[in-house]
Amino acid sequence: MSILEAHDLRRTFTTTTGVLRRNRKQVEAVRGVSFAIEPGELFGLLGPNGAGKTTTIKMLITLLLPTAGSANILGLDVVRDAREVRRHIGYVFGGDRGLYERLSAQDNLRYFAELYAVPARDQRARIGELLELVGLTGREKERVEGFSRGMRQRLHIARGLLHDPALLFLDEPSIGIDPVGARELRATIAGLRSAGKTILLTTHYMFEADELCDRIAVLSQGELVAEGTPAQLKARVTAGSVVEVETFSGVGPADVRGKVDAVGALPGVRSVVVDDRPDGETVVVQVEPGVDVTAAVLGTLSGIRVGRVVTREPTLEDAYVQLVSS
Amino acid sequence: MLTVGGVISFRGLFNWLNPYVYVPTMLVAPIFQILLFVYIGRSAGVGTDAFYLVGNAVQYASIPCLFAMANTIAGERWTQTLGIVLSTPANRVALFVGRSLPVIANGWFVAMFSLFVGGWVLGVDLPVSAWPGIALTIAIASASCTGLGLLQAALALRVRSTAVLSNIVFGVLLVFTGTNVALDSLPEWMATAGRLMPLTHAIEACREVVAGASLSAVAPLLLREGLIGAVFAVLGLAALRWVEAESRRHATLELQ
Repeated sequence: MSILEAHDLRRTFTTTTGVLRRNRKQVEAVRGVSFAIEPGELFGLLGPNGAGKTTTIKMLITLLLPTAGSANILGLDVVRDAREVRRHIGYVFGGDRGLYERLSAQDNLRYFAELYAVPARDQRARIGELLELVGLTGREKERVEGFSRGMRQRLHIARGLLHDPALLFLDEPSIGIDPVGARELRATIAGLRSAGKTILLTTHYMFEADELCDRIAVLSQGELVAEGTPAQLKARVTAGSVVEVETFSGVGPADVRGKVDAVGALPGVRSVVVDDRPDGETVVVQVEPGVDVTAAVLGTLSGIRVGRVVTREPTLEDAYVQLVSS
Repeated sequence: MLTVGGVISFRGLFNWLNPYVYVPTMLVAPIFQILLFVYIGRSAGVGTDAFYLVGNAVQYASIPCLFAMANTIAGERWTQTLGIVLSTPANRVALFVGRSLPVIANGWFVAMFSLFVGGWVLGVDLPVSAWPGIALTIAIASASCTGLGLLQAALALRVRSTAVLSNIVFGVLLVFTGTNVALDSLPEWMATAGRLMPLTHAIEACREVVAGASLSAVAPLLLREGLIGAVFAVLGLAALRWVEAESRRHATLELQ
């Protein structure tokens, strides 16, 4: 049996503007999302900002009711059996907050152990195990306000595991963490996966998803646009290549963004994306197999100062960008 | 959850209440309120010092009780722990009643301190034999007012600016509960409304205890005070449950 099954989940929000004349507007944040997570799987949910990831997670962790569709965790309906579902899930989100700053790490865990009804006689041992798991042994008496973001995030994970949930939701856990902290966090998550914990992870970092996830679903504009292993998603664009052109349009007379449509219209070009750099832009062109468009792209970008030009194999990030921009 | 959880959450949410904040707002401010109304009473030639002292000391319990209960939600929003707390299976009655226990204790301490120090400053005779009765009366007053605070906590699930409402309710209690103007002297509708509010009966009972009445003599007043507090507490818990359910339906829960 799957740990989680979502069937055609939908969520519509009604927003209102104006004071005297109230204008109502319906926004479909999630539009028929279906997927399943198997026991022991680390499942990635990717998508750009506003794609519906957080709304989907809120429905799955029982904080929001779906407008239509259904979801169950361990066979328990997230609407009807909300309280029972909560016993079996852990929820961790990224960022600075989400802990009681002026309490020690131990007291934070102790409080949530109470909320999750961890028996008093087991609390001390359980907290000790989890602090060791996330590498915070010896720091448990310190106030959280003195913790680095990486340490806080690892404490968050310990909190989410207090009641040994069947499914752990990690909502962008590595956001804003420095590279060393992020590496430690990924090691912790990889350790959980090795221990057989079932995890739903959302992240914006493709290398993180590539490294950690067994399967990935990509959300775009509220819809699931692709699902598969990282290798399967990459295979969607591996039959081809990627041309990256560094540009400095601030120096030249033309704006590179005005040329995107023209580059996209070139024969053999699948998609074009412009990424900003501090000193200019990078034009990322995905190309059909067996086609060399380098000269044509450079010709189209005439008038713009061009730097390094690289042709390389596609990555998961390329697959993701193609999926969400198509 | 009820005791350990309540105390840890109080420490977590109110740790900013260090002595530099606590002493001026909880211990000094009520003395000024007492002095203000005692001197107004003296200059107007109405009421005794004890009348204003008891009224204002007991009424000041509403500051910790109202503000703190609303802050059990608003504070969670500030620390961004509200979503995490609400995604736990914790029994909501135990969760919020647990959070109210330290609040009641704090309200009791603030009012007792105000009465003791205010009485000492003004030279009001508060007989030693009256203190057990006073302590019980103020405990019931704090609990009753915290019941009203639970209702505010429910509202805090929908709105961010809970302090505005707490200030208004504090003002309403100051006027309607007979703190400075006896209910008999208020317009009938105000007196009727006052009799349905927390603190009114406790203030009256406390004045009688200070004047020498026995606990059994004021028991009916204390029972009414406790009943009103219980009604507000039940309403508050029901409202918390309803607002949380509606928030899931309409996505109106302000999580962060």
